[in-house]
Formats: sequence, structure tokens, C-alpha cells
Amino acid sequence: MKKDLYEKIVDYILKNQNKFYRLAFSYVQNQEDALDVVQNAVCKALEHYEDLKNGDAVKTWFYRILVNESLTLLKEKKRVVLSGEEEMPEIPYEEKGFEMPDDMYAHINRLEEEVQNIIKLRFYEDMSLKEIAQIMEMNLNTVKAKLYRGLKALKVVIQEVEQ
Amino acid sequence: MKRIEEAKRKYEEIPIPNELSERVMMEVEKANERRKKVVNRRNIFLRKGTVAAAAAVFVFTAALNTSTAFAETMNDLPVIGAVARVLTFRSYEKETKDWKLSVEIPTIEMIAEDLGETQSVNEEIYNMCQQYADEAVARAEDYRQAFLDTGGTEEEWEAHNIEIKVWYEVKAQTDQYLSVAVMGTENWTSAYSETRYYNFNLRQGKQVTLEDILGENYAQTAKDSILAQMKEREETNGTQYWEDAVIEISKDTKFYINDQGNPVIVFEKYELTSGADGQQEFEITER
Repeated sequence: MKKDLYEKIVDYILKNQNKFYRLAFSYVQNQEDALDVVQNAVCKALEHYEDLKNGDAVKTWFYRILVNESLTLLKEKKRVVLSGEEEMPEIPYEEKGFEMPDDMYAHINRLEEEVQNIIKLRFYEDMSLKEIAQIMEMNLNTVKAKLYRGLKALKVVIQEVEQ
Repeated sequence: MKRIEEAKRKYEEIPIPNELSERVMMEVEKANERRKKVVNRRNIFLRKGTVAAAAAVFVFTAALNTSTAFAETMNDLPVIGAVARVLTFRSYEKETKDWKLSVEIPTIEMIAEDLGETQSVNEEIYNMCQQYADEAVARAEDYRQAFLDTGGTEEEWEAHNIEIKVWYEVKAQTDQYLSVAVMGTENWTSAYSETRYYNFNLRQGKQVTLEDILGENYAQTAKDSILAQMKEREETNGTQYWEDAVIEISKDTKFYINDQGNPVIVFEKYELTSGADGQQEFEITER
């Protein structure tokens, strides 16, 4: 049983490593750190694969590790650099009638952490809200509320994404 | 929505460095290696932080058989020597080609007081140690049979190096308290590992309860303290406790006493958080 699970996880990792890398990169914004994040996540996953009770949950379980690793690295960097820069505002202030910055991608990266996670997983990784709820260990309604909050900040029309 | 599509396109354009697959493969190979070892020896127990503890036990058992020397050292400890001492009551090792067993059973001796509760506690400790050793041997035999039945050879079996240990550790010895942990482990599975704590008030010659130390409201006091510490650990070390973890403190809650005379409540691995975080201990300093 365990053997199958281990192999299943390795399989899953090998197949999806590019996706993992992109998601990690979207957080840490540079190649070296993104590689580190993926490598650490793989290491942790394989070290603790026995903690995964339900073999069908490999995807959400692995993404949870990956997102945690990304955020941990970001936090550590913040601590080490002590740049003195203010943290990014959670939701950027927008002048009324001011045009959204062209770069939606950059804008997403400036959202509040949890909102950012949800939007990335939903739109970049095409995950269902239910899967996201599992990854973020939140209940479904919280995920929805945060998603809508994020979309509002991005001025995306909500009806279009309701599913 | 169009804008999100654009963002997504940009996201998908993030270039994948060649190094990625190398780094991932490296981890997979490392894990494969590790796993091979674990599967060969079923040495799950020894993998984590317990390595050091286990190593210490090795030394200790080697030096042991001769338990009197050890007992005398314990007895030399000035504080504990005055009122009580922990002795190795019985220690033995058994080795067959199928498994190796080492057992060290402590006994607690009160010197100043009359026996008080220690008599029955010593009996309990003795019985528990014997029972654990017997059951562990039976489990090892079952495992061996299952291994051979499913096509394993005797030689492969011997490579398992099954070891069963029962031992103890003095957690604290102050002029007021004596706290001893009695442990049983099998190196091929951590599922049956067991630890029991025995805490004595040396002045009264009886076992200490959480209520004795924390007062009438011990359950609430301990719970509040634990919840606060969990919160702090979540914030500082990023430990993630199960969302539905229940903290219920009762007279059966496991704890030992540390050198400061504070109770330390122990939750087993997996009880509050994932196994990777190991056993969780909370020192209760509030009264």
C-alpha cells in the first residue's frame, strides 16, 4: 500500500514539476529561489509522504506544501533583507476613474497573500474552489469571499467567474 | 476576464530552467535511497530526532548489565540521593537470530519516607515493562512470519535487525519531585511506542497529580496555557496544528515534571499536528 502511495507521489511530482516551478516563481520572482522552493517542497513531501492518509489527495496535499514553502521563503527573505521598505499595501489604493495598471499579472502579485494564493490557484492552475479550500485549509465560503474580494480589487466582473 | 487571461498567459510564459528537472530528480533519488534503507531495516523509528536518544541508549545498555554501577551513579546525585533514588531493578538482554531485546526496569526507592505508594507503583512499572517486552516480541514474531509467508527469505529477515527496547529516563529530580519516564520502543514500527510518566512528591511519598501542582482549576489553567503556546508556535515556527485538535486536560493527561518543578504536558505525535512535528510538549508555568 505504502509503496504504491510513494510511487504515486513521485509520479505526480515528475509529471507536474513545471507547474510547481511556475507557481513558486510567481511568489519568489527569481529563478534561484523558485528552484529552491520546488526542491524543498519535493524533499518534504517525500520525507513525510506517510502523513498523507488519503492517496487521492496527492494534488492538494502537494500544493499545500508548495505554497507553504513559497511563503516561508518569502518571509525569511523579508526578515534577512530588512530593506526598511514598507510592506506592500494589501489592496492598492486606486484613484476613481484611474485606469488599472496594464499589467494584471503584476497586480495579482501585489494582492494580500491569501487572496493572491486563491486567485493563482483558481486561474493559473485551474483548480476548483473546493480544491483550493483544501489546500488553504479554509472553508469553502471563506475561499469564495476572499476570491471575490480579490477580484473586486482587480476590477474583474464577478459574474464571469461564478461557477 | 480578458485581463486575467492575459495574466495567465504571462504566467505560462515563465521559462522553465533546465536545472529544474535535475534538482527534482536529485530529491527523488535521495528519497529513494532513504527509503531503501528504511524498507530494509524497517527503521522508521530511528529516522528522526530520536537518533541521538537511541544512540545514547546504546551506550547505556552496553555499559549496563552491570546495573549497579549505574545505580550507584544515580544514587550519588546529591539531591535525589537524600530522599529517594531510582534503581535499575532488573536489566537483561536477549538476542535470537530473529530479534534483539533489551529491557531495563526501574524501581523507585524512597529512603526517608516509608514505602507509601511506591510499592504499588513499582509493581505497576514492572508489569508494564514485562508486558510491553512480551508483546513486542510477539509482534516481531508475527512480522517475521508474515515476511516469510510473503516470499521473504531468512537472510533478508536477519538484515532487518529488529530491536526492542524498554528503558527509562529520569526527567527531573529536585528536592521536591522525582519524575521518571518509562519507555518502550521497537525499531521497525513506531505504532506501538509507549511512554508512561511517573511523578512523585518526595516530601509526601505519593504520586503527584496536575491538580496538586496547578490547583483546583488545573484543567482550565493548563488548557489556556497550551492554547496560548500553540498560537505562539504557529506564529513563530509555523507549526500547523490540526484545526479540530481538542485540548482536553483530565487527571489522565500525560505529563512529567521538569527541573523547575513545572509540569510539562505531552501530546503524542499526530495528536495535535502532523507526525513531522513530533511529540508536542507544553510546560505550564502558570498557577
